[in-house]
Amino acid sequence: MKNKIKVYRAMHDLTQEGLATELGVTRQTVLAIEKGKYDPSLELAFRIARYFGVNIEEIFTYE
Amino acid sequence: MKQNSFYILAGIVGLVEVGLFYLSVEFLKPMLISVGFIAGVLILYAAQRLIADRRSDERSALINQKAGMATFMVFWVIFFAMSLGGAVIGFGAPRFPHPPPLKGEPGGFNASMSLPEGVAEATHAARDIPDDGLIRLGYFGYMQLALLFLMFFLYVGFRVYYARKYGEWETDEE
Repeated sequence: MKNKIKVYRAMHDLTQEGLATELGVTRQTVLAIEKGKYDPSLELAFRIARYFGVNIEEIFTYE
Repeated sequence: MKQNSFYILAGIVGLVEVGLFYLSVEFLKPMLISVGFIAGVLILYAAQRLIADRRSDERSALINQKAGMATFMVFWVIFFAMSLGGAVIGFGAPRFPHPPPLKGEPGGFNASMSLPEGVAEATHAARDIPDDGLIRLGYFGYMQLALLFLMFFLYVGFRVYYARKYGEWETDEE
């Protein structure tokens, strides 16, 4: 699964730590998701999409 | 409670457990260390819930879950194999299931698990233990402890493996 979290994070001028705090996860989790090492749960994926105000498929794509 | 306070508390509980183990051996009271250990673990579990700055999320939960499951899958095979070996010794004993010794016979509970010459007698003389079968049963505890240490190291190994797999120590340009 690929994602554009890094792009959206840059658009919102957010650090990994900042996004992690907003989502209630650790910075390592945000980093692992960005690098494709970890696929988030559906709930966390929706939380990320909701935080950036977009649909989930705009951030996550299945390949 | 802070995470570091919890680690200090865990160290103190560990030292108390070592002391309890020493006293248990000294006074030959197995219940002392058994009850003490359970109490110590309950204290740590309760204290763990009070940690305010603990950072845990779904990824760390997944790592713990996977490491625990992998440990269990290896451990039960080893534990079952060792237990089967122990059962063979028990069932293969000539007088299973351990009737009282006949008059004039040596009083061992299992001829295939005999102690070195003179050890049981010396222990009897020192502590007045009624049944030396208990001493041999105590040796089973060594094997169980060895297996538990194996389980611990297996868990740590699998924990490191899955943590690496899910990017625990990844670095970034930030």
